[in-house]
Amino acid sequence: MQPYELSLAAAADAIRDRRLSPVELVDSVLDRIEKAEPSLGAYVTVAAEQARRAAGEAEHEVAQGRYRGPLHGIPMGLKDLIDVSGMPTTASSRVRADHRATADSTVAARLSAAGAILLGKTHTHEFAFGLTTPQTRNAWDRGRVAGGSSGGSAVAVASGTATFALGTDTGGSIRVPAALNGVVGLKPTYGLVPRHGVTSLSWSLDHVGPITRTVEDAALVLTALAGHDPRDPASLSVPAADYRPGAGTNLTGLRIGLPRTYYFDNVDPRVETAVRHAIGQLESLGARLVEVDIPMTRYIQATQWGLMVPEAGAYHEGSLRAVAELYQEDVRILLEAGELMSAGDYLRAQRSRTLMRAEWARMLEEVDVIAAPSVPMPAVGADETTVTWPDGTAESVSDAYVRLCAPANITGLPALTVPVGHDAAGLPIGMQLLGRPLGEPTLLRVGHAYEQTQPARALATAV
Amino acid sequence: MPAVELTPPEAARWAARAGLALPAERHAAVANHIHSVVAVLRELDFADVPPAAAYRAVEEKHDAAV
Repeated sequence: MQPYELSLAAAADAIRDRRLSPVELVDSVLDRIEKAEPSLGAYVTVAAEQARRAAGEAEHEVAQGRYRGPLHGIPMGLKDLIDVSGMPTTASSRVRADHRATADSTVAARLSAAGAILLGKTHTHEFAFGLTTPQTRNAWDRGRVAGGSSGGSAVAVASGTATFALGTDTGGSIRVPAALNGVVGLKPTYGLVPRHGVTSLSWSLDHVGPITRTVEDAALVLTALAGHDPRDPASLSVPAADYRPGAGTNLTGLRIGLPRTYYFDNVDPRVETAVRHAIGQLESLGARLVEVDIPMTRYIQATQWGLMVPEAGAYHEGSLRAVAELYQEDVRILLEAGELMSAGDYLRAQRSRTLMRAEWARMLEEVDVIAAPSVPMPAVGADETTVTWPDGTAESVSDAYVRLCAPANITGLPALTVPVGHDAAGLPIGMQLLGRPLGEPTLLRVGHAYEQTQPARALATAV
Repeated sequence: MPAVELTPPEAARWAARAGLALPAERHAAVANHIHSVVAVLRELDFADVPPAAAYRAVEEKHDAAV
């Protein structure tokens, strides 16, 4: 096994025990980038020299006995919406061509302090406003979409060109590409991970979180990221915690909500089969399945759009009037048309969110976790724009990919996607676990227990 | 779709009021589609429900015991 193939946890153990040096690991991942990047296009920028220099310093620290913890010497990618001092934050947009961040975002600073090493910035669908990330190709099949908007981060982790990465999630943008590329993605509770220094798509829906190869890895990254920062007005005051899940796989006593409605409607049968099989695995570990009815399903898309569209339009108001021609057409038209939405529509969406949060809280009194598909279908072909379901319903690819993710953005609940297999064409399928506010330890425990019942996953094959 | 849709000239006029010069045809179609999606929220009876503009995912615990 080459160092670039190691999970974060395995690499961390090897570095701590001095069986692997950060220099060897970073060199191995940079070599992998050189080989894979031309065919995958996950990165906007690779800062190879900077990464090698940091790896040398990390190696020196370990040799001096100054081990910072499990992220020490671990190479990572950051979605290019996340500020790193001295580097441009391009948002994968020509609008940001001359940008240069003057300070680290909170998450970049925390990862750096924990010893992680920045490899580079990964592609996003322009300004995170889309679900495909057209610059990047799926790590399992280059003719298919990477998913988005954190497509570069997911493809980098899946292909071995980053040991972990960060994404952002406003309507599924961590979970969608993670599911489509066969890796783990965690959208934390709203406010758990500070967004200071991260370009916004929609303030009331935006989250930052890890994309990793295993659930345990996601827990290790979350431990470094979580914690209050008053510079993000939504940031929660929660005590520092170690999110690493225990080794046990016994889920006796845990109640898992199995949706009777919404989450299995208009879902590809291969996805449904794989997810139901995985839920069966959780049951065999001792969990009790409880059927639940998802509340207010008729209003999910309306609420998501009613919040996101005007907030995104407001964020881009100045640039739309100054340099509109620099946006890609798909993003520009949404932002501009969004300005024609009324304040009444926005307030109805905010009030609907109040109702929806209360209904979900009631549902989550009956169960500890809800298990469902992450996305209704595996990665579609890069030129496909709509999907037609057996009942004749046509849905845009973007709407389909957002559909099962949006409830966790609207309600702020934590949601984790875990790979649960592949379809006949070899494309990955993800199971989504949703929990109560600050229920990350439960989600990580369940996801980790599931992974321990499965063979270790190999890296993606489209390189 | 809602009964009353913006025509392209109306979309252009609304956008101009907001300070945007838009090619009206496509924007009217996208704006009307967005409107048709969010209009369903009018069905809800909100009574006294406030907006969640400033919200926390974690409810604050109000404990009378000091």
